[in-house]
Amino acid sequence: MKHMLRALLVAALLLPVGLAGAQEEPVTIEFWHTYNEVSPEHEMLIETLIPMFEEMHPNIKVVSVPFPYGEFRQALLTALAGGEGPELARLDIIWSPEFAELGVLATLDEVMPDFEALADAVFPGPLSTNFYDGHYYGLPLDTNTRVWMWGATVYEEVGLEAPPETIDEVAAQCEAVKALGEEFYVFGDDNTTGWNLLPWIWTFGGDITDPDITMASGYLNSAQSVAALEFLAEMVQSGCFSPAMIGTASDPSAGYFTDQIASILNGPWMYPIAEAQYPDFEIQTTLMPAGEGGSISVVGGENIVMFSTTPYPEEAMEFLRFTQSDEYQLKMSETGQLTVLPRLLETEYYQTHPYYGIFLQQLETARARTPHPKWTQMEEVLTDAGQLILRGEMAAQEALDIAAEEIDALLAE
Amino acid sequence: MQSRLHHRWYVPYAFLLPGLLLYVLWMLYPLVYELYISFFEWNIMPGQESTFVGLANYEQALTDPNFWLALRNTAQYTVVTVIGQMLLGLGVAVLVHRVTFGKRIFRAIYYLPVVTSWVVVSFLFQYLFSSGRSGLINHILVSVLGLLPEPVAWLGESSTAWIAIYALGIWKGVGWAMVVFLAALQGIPPELYEVAAIDGAGEWGQFRHITLPLIRATTLFVMVALIIGGFQVFISVYLITGGGPLHRTEVVLSYMYDRSFGRLLFGYGAALSYILAAIVVFVSFLQMRVFRRPAEIY
Repeated sequence: MKHMLRALLVAALLLPVGLAGAQEEPVTIEFWHTYNEVSPEHEMLIETLIPMFEEMHPNIKVVSVPFPYGEFRQALLTALAGGEGPELARLDIIWSPEFAELGVLATLDEVMPDFEALADAVFPGPLSTNFYDGHYYGLPLDTNTRVWMWGATVYEEVGLEAPPETIDEVAAQCEAVKALGEEFYVFGDDNTTGWNLLPWIWTFGGDITDPDITMASGYLNSAQSVAALEFLAEMVQSGCFSPAMIGTASDPSAGYFTDQIASILNGPWMYPIAEAQYPDFEIQTTLMPAGEGGSISVVGGENIVMFSTTPYPEEAMEFLRFTQSDEYQLKMSETGQLTVLPRLLETEYYQTHPYYGIFLQQLETARARTPHPKWTQMEEVLTDAGQLILRGEMAAQEALDIAAEEIDALLAE
Repeated sequence: MQSRLHHRWYVPYAFLLPGLLLYVLWMLYPLVYELYISFFEWNIMPGQESTFVGLANYEQALTDPNFWLALRNTAQYTVVTVIGQMLLGLGVAVLVHRVTFGKRIFRAIYYLPVVTSWVVVSFLFQYLFSSGRSGLINHILVSVLGLLPEPVAWLGESSTAWIAIYALGIWKGVGWAMVVFLAALQGIPPELYEVAAIDGAGEWGQFRHITLPLIRATTLFVMVALIIGGFQVFISVYLITGGGPLHRTEVVLSYMYDRSFGRLLFGYGAALSYILAAIVVFVSFLQMRVFRRPAEIY
């Protein structure tokens, strides 16, 4: 027994020596993200891009850890709290301020010597979503926006010739589409989050807060914001828009691809999905129908951030640089991820691309959701108000008055 | 050697030690630590400051309408599912008890839902109750049986969403209640029934005056265990409705989870869980008192 203990002890003492001796071993860095495993983007990452990077940097091994979007924020927070976070993560642009406020992100503009050059190379809009309290905590990875997608089959069937250019024309198309039956809709969306509601609110001329993000009263409950929500409520209750917005009907994207829903607002990732699952379907696009505020859609996209806890900042930054390269950005463009590098728009790939044009055009006027650490909570208030209004349980003015007051309180904290 | 070992006072403790250590490490330490967290505005990130706020989290909970709604929902869930599980569990136990052929098979069939994973069956129920004509329940009620004129958006309204959640809770728990009741039924001496039959007692009379009194202790045990379980409902609600629509199907644990992991209010979440624990202890204590009667006599 004693001999065995002694042997174990000696082995334990020798272990660090063995590890130190194996310096040739590559460093492993983890990259957590929500690249969709069903669509081709994740495949591109693990089968093309990571191998490409590892070949250039044989001393670094990159482990890709995909998460479903809905679970990612909490999974990441929990891991970080337990000290088990990754080196790098791809964050939805709306999460960046929150993680920066938590103090877990590396201040890239301080730790990365070439940060300025990288920052100068990207679109300023997406870059700004990495800014919090005087510093940059990440770099943009991809950008996108929602455009109006319509289905040629439904349009032809009901005798509509062109997609709506204005909000009034959207409403006017209702009768024609409803002639097909109860379960056919002019438009469908799946919730009342900022992503869903803001294109309407902005297009009607409303907003959530003042430009300095100090208060919601006077903006979220303005006449224009109220008009937007009243319009949506009327459309949902009259059966023109799919009740999926209030959670009482199934996924509108599937309805769109199967010609039950004439139009949706969605992003460029819909093309690879259509190609894979509905190869006969041809997506038609136009700009968000205009209202009093113009044709305003919502900016989406992701940033790449590095965590301050990583023991391998140099290796992690190397991969971060790689994501900002032409190769990475062009390869990801093939999977529906719009590039954040303006220089690539001059390339033949973008010049001749079949469908990116409309998204780039919409991005010229699109706006970002409120860049604020409290956004998740603000959005919950907005989502709940939207549900109350669209379900017809509360008048738009009343619900938005209450919501504005609640968001004021959040912003005052 | 062996006898000497038995006489050393520390031997039993030595055998208890591993279990005790595990208990302290995995149960006691987290419990105490959570109590500590509940007095703070807790920052979960390692190395970051947390602010001591005393009882503020508890005060906040008592004035939070969402918490009261969640508590009411939890209590309703407990009442509905405990009654459902006990009635059905006892009913099935009586039937299975009488079966002479294939008793084990019936017992296994009814027990099967108990051992299935909550996650799997929650998704299954979410699918069964999905809205539109494609949902299986809708399909049966509308297209097959013609009981409803059009499909119901089960999970879109809180009133109908509860049906799905209650149904799952009862379906999944009946088997456990049945097995426990069955054991109790088998412990009743058959002579008692024979004597009662000779005295002219009917089926119902026998059940009412022999079976029920003799399984009293078991009934109490089943009830206490089910109520504690009912208050801890989480996975089914979290997965089937996510507390929606509009937080109307939120139960205490899902609300606690949402505050903690959604809003990062870990101190508040810890306070909520302590309030829930206090309620469960109180209710269990109350039951023990109410049901305490002189020992049953055969």
